[in-house]
Amino acid sequence: MAPHDFLARVYDEHAQALFAFLLNLTRNESDTQDILQELFVRLARRPALLDSARDERAFLLRLVHNLAIDLMRRRGTRQRHQEHWAIEATPLFAAAAFPDEQSFREALGEALGELPPEQRAVVHLKLWEGLTFEAIAEALDIPPNTAASRYRYGLDKLRQRLRPLYEEIK
Amino acid sequence: MRPDEFEQRLQRQPLRAIPAGWRREILGNAEAACPGALRHKQRAARVPWWRELLWPCPQAWAGLAAVWVVILAFNLALREPAHVTKTSNAVPAPQILIALREHRRLLAELVGSPTDLEPPKRFDARRRGEISNPTLTVRLA
Repeated sequence: MAPHDFLARVYDEHAQALFAFLLNLTRNESDTQDILQELFVRLARRPALLDSARDERAFLLRLVHNLAIDLMRRRGTRQRHQEHWAIEATPLFAAAAFPDEQSFREALGEALGELPPEQRAVVHLKLWEGLTFEAIAEALDIPPNTAASRYRYGLDKLRQRLRPLYEEIK
Repeated sequence: MRPDEFEQRLQRQPLRAIPAGWRREILGNAEAACPGALRHKQRAARVPWWRELLWPCPQAWAGLAAVWVVILAFNLALREPAHVTKTSNAVPAPQILIALREHRRLLAELVGSPTDLEPPKRFDARRRGEISNPTLTVRLA
């Protein structure tokens, strides 16, 4: 067994999900790569980090969420404005074959970008990771009721924002 | 909570795939950052089951084993004098026998001669009615 098999296994099993979550959270591909790199360097330094984790995916989501929060805090208001500009430029979803579907995906990406990061994180984990509110609460270190309310608020905003387009292509 | 139609529609939107080139880059950089720890993890993965069992706290297991050895030694040490006492009881020393006889003799002198003592009642196999009663005999006479 090659020495990098441990990291390769973790990457193959979880990197796609972590990438999508981080891209939705940071709205920046470069930041997403930096955070993923930081995560794997930490795992390389302390491979036993995952030994105590009951659910590897939830544990890794929690780690990258904390890294993303740290990154956002390190940056000032000026850079946050630049990130806001980057929101529209970073595609979150795969390209669609039909123009209507493509428009909906682009609008959904923009609508998600307009949500506060804490609501966006919960909505992402619920919709695209299929986590329960208890698991989301554990991953984001918040109470389950808070996770549920953030999800409802976030979803209502998306519903209002996308209603015209959604009714059109339904 | 069952997802409504809108939620289901959102769930069906496929997220972008991670760029293919990132794997090599990220794993390469991570390995270069700390190869020693990964080799240690590999070694740890080859540790046999019995070492895995003892690994969390070998000092505690060693201490427990030492305590058992002490308990066994103490147990054996306690058994030894009991055995000696039993064997000495089997063949009493002549001095002890002499002392015992002397003791009995003194006791007999203090209490009185054995003839003064009331002899033990013997069992009479006859029925209660067949036994002659001296008191009753006197009245009839």
